[in-house]
Amino acid sequence: MILHTLNASPASAAFAECLRLLAPGDALLLLGDGVYCALAGTTARAQLDAAGAELYVLHDDVAAAGILGQTAGTSTVDIDGFVALTERFARQLAWY
Amino acid sequence: MTTVANNSGKKLLAIIRHSPYGDSLARTSIETALAASAFDQAVCLLFLGDGVLQLMPDQEPGALGSRNLGRLLASLPLYDIESVYVDAQAVSRYQVKLENTPVSAVPLQPPEMVELLREHDLLLGF
Repeated sequence: MILHTLNASPASAAFAECLRLLAPGDALLLLGDGVYCALAGTTARAQLDAAGAELYVLHDDVAAAGILGQTAGTSTVDIDGFVALTERFARQLAWY
Repeated sequence: MTTVANNSGKKLLAIIRHSPYGDSLARTSIETALAASAFDQAVCLLFLGDGVLQLMPDQEPGALGSRNLGRLLASLPLYDIESVYVDAQAVSRYQVKLENTPVSAVPLQPPEMVELLREHDLLLGF
């Protein structure tokens, strides 16, 4: 199982390519511009939900984007939570 | 003679997602793969999305002042990088002729790419 990190918006090639390789049992942490992929009610979010991976968002980036109330259904983590994820998953793949 | 530590048998997969001359990531990704292989690490490459554009034959970047990436790719087998894979959907999107690529590459569908990721210990995305 793989921890993916994505820090590009839903319009990016990185998002599309990450989505294609995201598999059930994997986790995806959205950070930077990647947090916009977590917006509830968007096509991008529906596509991520359908991939069957665990979804995480980085708190400070979600707060900066002004969308703290709009990422329901994802788990919000801080940097310590990010570190904990890297400990849980032996492999990590960065999409940017 | 210096002994080079074998990197504990870990398998590395470089995932290459950028076109050859748009930025420096393309060249960096190939050079990283060559360096890892030089240290006896098992290295495979996956060209994904726009990364397949690196496989176009007949690249002539001389006028840009860039070194020819296609020619560098052609040298990969000399560096013991034998396993090169490519995103079949992107091959189709860009009409890449797999019989003419600088290095031979095996086309994979998304489920096969997911498997490939799981078979490797280290994943480097470029």
